[in-house]
Amino acid sequence: MSHVFARQPQAGSAASFGSTPDDAALRPADSDVADAARAGVGAVRPIATHAVELADAGPVLFEADAPRGKGAVGAALLGKLGALRDGSARRATLAALKPWIVPVLLIIVWQAAAQSGWLSSRVLPAPLAVVVAAWELAWSGELWRHVGVSTLRALSGFAVGGGIGLALGLLTGSLRSAETLLDTSIQMVRNIPPLALIPLVILWFGIDEGAKLFLVSLGVFFPIYANTFHGIRSVDPQLIEMARSYGLSRWALYREVILPGALPSMLVGVRYSLGLMWVILIVAETISAQAGIGYMTMNAREFLQTDVVLVGILLYALLGKLADLIARGLERRLLRWNPSYRSA
Amino acid sequence: MNTRAAFGLGPRTAPDAPASVECDACAVVAPVRTSVRGPNRWLRAAAGLLLPVGFLVAVEVLVRAGLIEARFLPAPSELAQTLAELARGGELAAHIGISVARVLAGFVIGSMLALLLGALVGLNRRAEALLDPTLQALRAIPSLAWVPLLLLWLGIDELPKITLIAIGAFFPVYLGITSGIRDVDRKLVEVGAMAGLGRIAQVRRIFLPASLPALMTGLRGGLGLAWMFLVAAELIASTRGLGYLLSDGRETSRADVVLASIVLLALLGKLGDSVLQTIERRALAWRDTHDQRAA
Amino acid sequence: MKRRELLKGAVGAVLAAGLAPAHGATLDELRLDYAYYSPLSLVLKRFGWLEESLKADGTRVKWVLSQGSNRALEYLGSNSIDLGSSAGLAALLSKANGNPIRTVYVGSRPEWTGLLVGRDSPIRSVAELRGKKVAATKGTDPYLFLLRSLREFKVPKGEVEIVHLQHPDGRAALEQGKVDAWAGLDPHMAASELDAGSRFLYRNVGYNTYNFLSAREAFLAEQPAVVGKVIAAYEKARLWTLGHVDEAARILADEAKVSVPVALLQVKLRTDFSNPLPSAEHVNALRAAAPILREEALVKPGTDLDRTVTALIDTNFARPLIAASAKAG
Repeated sequence: MSHVFARQPQAGSAASFGSTPDDAALRPADSDVADAARAGVGAVRPIATHAVELADAGPVLFEADAPRGKGAVGAALLGKLGALRDGSARRATLAALKPWIVPVLLIIVWQAAAQSGWLSSRVLPAPLAVVVAAWELAWSGELWRHVGVSTLRALSGFAVGGGIGLALGLLTGSLRSAETLLDTSIQMVRNIPPLALIPLVILWFGIDEGAKLFLVSLGVFFPIYANTFHGIRSVDPQLIEMARSYGLSRWALYREVILPGALPSMLVGVRYSLGLMWVILIVAETISAQAGIGYMTMNAREFLQTDVVLVGILLYALLGKLADLIARGLERRLLRWNPSYRSA
Repeated sequence: MNTRAAFGLGPRTAPDAPASVECDACAVVAPVRTSVRGPNRWLRAAAGLLLPVGFLVAVEVLVRAGLIEARFLPAPSELAQTLAELARGGELAAHIGISVARVLAGFVIGSMLALLLGALVGLNRRAEALLDPTLQALRAIPSLAWVPLLLLWLGIDELPKITLIAIGAFFPVYLGITSGIRDVDRKLVEVGAMAGLGRIAQVRRIFLPASLPALMTGLRGGLGLAWMFLVAAELIASTRGLGYLLSDGRETSRADVVLASIVLLALLGKLGDSVLQTIERRALAWRDTHDQRAA
Repeated sequence: MKRRELLKGAVGAVLAAGLAPAHGATLDELRLDYAYYSPLSLVLKRFGWLEESLKADGTRVKWVLSQGSNRALEYLGSNSIDLGSSAGLAALLSKANGNPIRTVYVGSRPEWTGLLVGRDSPIRSVAELRGKKVAATKGTDPYLFLLRSLREFKVPKGEVEIVHLQHPDGRAALEQGKVDAWAGLDPHMAASELDAGSRFLYRNVGYNTYNFLSAREAFLAEQPAVVGKVIAAYEKARLWTLGHVDEAARILADEAKVSVPVALLQVKLRTDFSNPLPSAEHVNALRAAAPILREEALVKPGTDLDRTVTALIDTNFARPLIAASAKAG
């Protein structure tokens, strides 16, 4: 049992929330792989709030920074390839393939059903048809045009909503009076499902870009606001006291202690917003448009081109994934100095 | 900047976990509990309402004065009138009733399923390897995309609507429980093993309580998403419900009906969240953390 | 809160845009809609006559697709388009609820809606719709047609489950057996008849309320000359269509992606393009249809519908622009 304790991550880090506890306790045999994976991939763990843990389990198919993810196991594989005997390498390959069993099986069944005619193309087009449709769109350049327009909309909304969220979060986080005045109102607006707002948004902003920008900004606003607020509030008061006792001016205090302390939480907010941004964009793009992934999808629906509809859905999913990966990468880079982020 | 260690400060205990919790795509946030008690708390609550009430008064005045066209933003008094009319006919109760019923049904089904699958995936490595990647991939599918697919497959009755809501509720709860189980402190599990607890007892006495905070967070997120999916389900192919009322107002150019349904949706959503918040507070009262200051 | 202020600012801006006295100032962009239920709009869009006539003024033309009267009216009300095509009764409903529009031209008198049932449906009369599901798009002529039919056959609305689906989805629902009946709209209705063998449960020309072309009141006041040019262009399209019905059907088939026989059914057999000037005929038709709006509580109680009809239909504006040869009594 002692080797287990020796391998325990140091106290004080976020490891007690960040480590995968069932490694050693439940399956000692795999701890080799897990360790190697952790070292190889350099798992970055955000501050240990449950918020963030949920974030970690975020929209990831390839949990690049979880020791058990496919990517991580792949890295472990490469790392150990030289040292391991054939038996272990084979075991590792099998483990790497496992996550793919169910999805691949599903796709095969799906293709077979579509080809045999049992699955009508109106209900669900064959996977191959979807691939062909995607290829044709990419080849004709249409795909890129729509993706570009959608991305521009999403990013503009992110800039506006994120900027306002950041500003208000800093304000309410720093000033109690601001919090009292503003927070309740903001919570009230948060409870409105964005989809329900569409009729009003169209009424007020028409069907042009303003309406879509408003919706995306509104959606992006809340996670950034909430996490900025939370980040500022949860800066360790002892650190602040200490800095004050060193005579740091208000401004310097902010710059040196509070903002860096709030940074992890803010970045979590950024990550959530990036994910949410795409979801809200889908909602926003149901409003009449002349270009964009939503336009492409709805147009296809009008004319019963279900394969194009599926291409649109997959695009949204992929872009959401991409945004999440970028956000995680950003987190990793910007928080390198933070001890609780260093891999266990 | 390892300031803590430099000053000999001990490890940081978990900051207020449920106080600001996120699940992606649902952004459920509970306001940080204030440390003020007693009459001051009521004063602060009142101060928080200053802005909303002021806004309502301002709108009323501006609409009456004709500076804002009523068709863009109906006055609160008109809104109240519309609500009263709808209530008088008994329609409102019917719409609210069916929407709440749908949300409850979908939420219960979705979270039960998530609990089952999440526990399975969290506790059994093989199940996780097989199921988790597929579930994560399904999660990436945008919510609105499910609507036409479900309508196509399951018809236009209650089934596709409740399925959609269940899908919405599923993922946050699933994430909550899997991350909760994953983050159970290894030391606790070892202690349990040392004390000779069987697997079932381990689950009941260690895993369950330890993962409860994350689970509660997931449940709140799930309920939030359930409401959002309800609106999506009721906007298309519906004959009753608040979403139906919303689209009714939209298609007949009645901004007051639109606003009335939005307000009701927001209120009901908030109500549900508050109920869960209370349950959360009770269920987690035994925790001894930095944040435990609420009654 | 900043967001609220942003909103108020936006509302104010919209208001200001509506009230801004820009009489005769050159228009940058004219926005109007096109729809598959309005063949003239498709012809006009195809030949570019409107773009030609406005080119000298430097005005661009932007075409927006309306999937139904409900959308067209929503776009008009939110200042997203300047002119839109919709059913007459739907326009009345919208105006009665505050939408500031004015009808300046009648695109056609179609029989574009009716109640359809599936090919093998056992339902033979409207009375049998009790307890059944009917698909209809709220805020459009088919929906109002349905309501009027139910009333005529004394079927209480509460006993029928009306499912709100946009036109193409309603058709799909009927053909997949998900609904028992569908209040259809051409060309989707014609396509369902010819391609899927759906049959009429009930037809009534009198319950179809014309294809109205309406303009935003503010736009009419600011840019009467441009509205005049639009009407002149529509006239050109109408006269061309009268002389080239088959080709017009081909244009419709091409745009709406339906087969030519379907398009011919709509354009040749079921649409009357001969009476474009809004007149007493249209006023009376709407007055006769108006009660359903009150009975179904679609308008606020106490609305004076007669006055709304008069306020909606402009019987004079288009008079000098309508070709004398085509004017009917």
